[in-house]
Amino acid sequence: MQIDWLTVAAQIVNFLVLIWLLQRFLYRPITNAMARREARIEERLSDAKARRREAEDEAEDLRKEREELESSRQEMLEEARAEADELRQRLEQDIRDEVEQKRENWQDMLLEERADFARDMQRKAGHKVLDIAARLLAEFTSGALDDQIAQGFVARLKELDKDTRKKMTAAARDADGPALVETATALDTSARRKITRAIHEQFETGIEVEYQEDEEVLLGVRLAVDEQTVEWSAARHLNRLNRELDALLDSASPVRRKETTD
Amino acid sequence: MEISPDAWVLYEWRGLRLNATIVFTWVVMALLVLLSWIITARLSEGETVSRWQVMLEVVVTTIRDQIDEVGATDPARYLPFIGTLFLFIATSNLLTVVPGYQPPTGSLSTTAALAICVLIAVPLFSIAQRGLGGYLKSYLQPSPFMLPFNIISELSRTLALAVRLYGNVMSGTVIVGILISVAPFFFPVLMQLLGLLTGLIQAYIFAILAMVYIASASRVQRKTEPESDPEHPRTSRQGD
Repeated sequence: MQIDWLTVAAQIVNFLVLIWLLQRFLYRPITNAMARREARIEERLSDAKARRREAEDEAEDLRKEREELESSRQEMLEEARAEADELRQRLEQDIRDEVEQKRENWQDMLLEERADFARDMQRKAGHKVLDIAARLLAEFTSGALDDQIAQGFVARLKELDKDTRKKMTAAARDADGPALVETATALDTSARRKITRAIHEQFETGIEVEYQEDEEVLLGVRLAVDEQTVEWSAARHLNRLNRELDALLDSASPVRRKETTD
Repeated sequence: MEISPDAWVLYEWRGLRLNATIVFTWVVMALLVLLSWIITARLSEGETVSRWQVMLEVVVTTIRDQIDEVGATDPARYLPFIGTLFLFIATSNLLTVVPGYQPPTGSLSTTAALAICVLIAVPLFSIAQRGLGGYLKSYLQPSPFMLPFNIISELSRTLALAVRLYGNVMSGTVIVGILISVAPFFFPVLMQLLGLLTGLIQAYIFAILAMVYIASASRVQRKTEPESDPEHPRTSRQGD
């Protein structure tokens, strides 16, 4: 149990050599590898952190953008809704107006039709009344009234105004044919004689007088000399009444139509 | 019975004797260097790391952490010296399970050589850190009166290092030898296992003590300096 100094020296050398070898093959490579790996991991971590921050920023931006879009979309929606409401109301109003207009037109037409119908009815009624009157006159004036008709005719002839009388006188004088006296029914002889005499007296001519029947005359006498005609008859009155009735109805209808449109 | 492998001479040439201590030291060295070389030749710096590389990384990191815990400012600076002390002693002791192997650390010559290395390394590291004046001044701390005691302590602790390791390893071998002659079947195995444990502990103690000596020689200056970095960051791989 003693120290061999040669061995001690050899072991010191061995130990120093071992330190160098291990430093060369063990510590330095391992330490370097670990340091490099740590650096790389550190780099990756920082890189990942940076990317994460970037991604978070981007996400934040996107979120804001989306919110803005959402709000603007809402605004646009509101606007569109308001516009649609307005349009709907306007269209409704238009349709309501149109319907109202049509209704009024229809009402006008209805009123007009009613007025036309009423006018027609009035016209027909008037004519009917006149017809009945004519028929009644025709039925009740046969025979008995001849003398009165003759007298009436003579009286009227005497009261003839100057112009007519002059024309008639001229016509009687120049006439080629006979004077034509028309009555609804045939007059008896005395009545005919009175009428003939009156004509001769009044027109100062001996013109031949011819008698004819015409139902349209109804009650009265129509005298035609050449182209001149004088007539005193119920038919003339009735015709005038008919004309007046028509004129009255025609003039009344526009006024009424005007009243309804106002 | 041969206690020291020094006495086991394998080859002699003109008075130079090649004893078992040196040969087994070479074996241990070759083993360590070859293993390191094979593994570090294919080092990976990416995510996938081979198991062997992980093992070496764990060993190196643990040694570095231990150095850091003792209080050294720069663990990477002491790593080769302290790490080699530990690895060499541990490997030498663990290989005792191989039949026919004689641990070089069982020789007082080897332990003395390692203790001398520590004896020289302490002032070297201290001078490198503080300069020659600073180192020499540490012998006069806390008062010049303490100079002889400081010198004695320096020498005695070197002696203690050498004898402690030698005694422990040698005793293990001796005990096994004795037990084989007394109870050859069961107890030697137990003692062998116990020897593995003590061998590892001795390697740890030797390396840590060396580090403590070096650190204490450097720490005097740290007290006088403003503490720029009192909590030295541990370079462990916990954050990985």
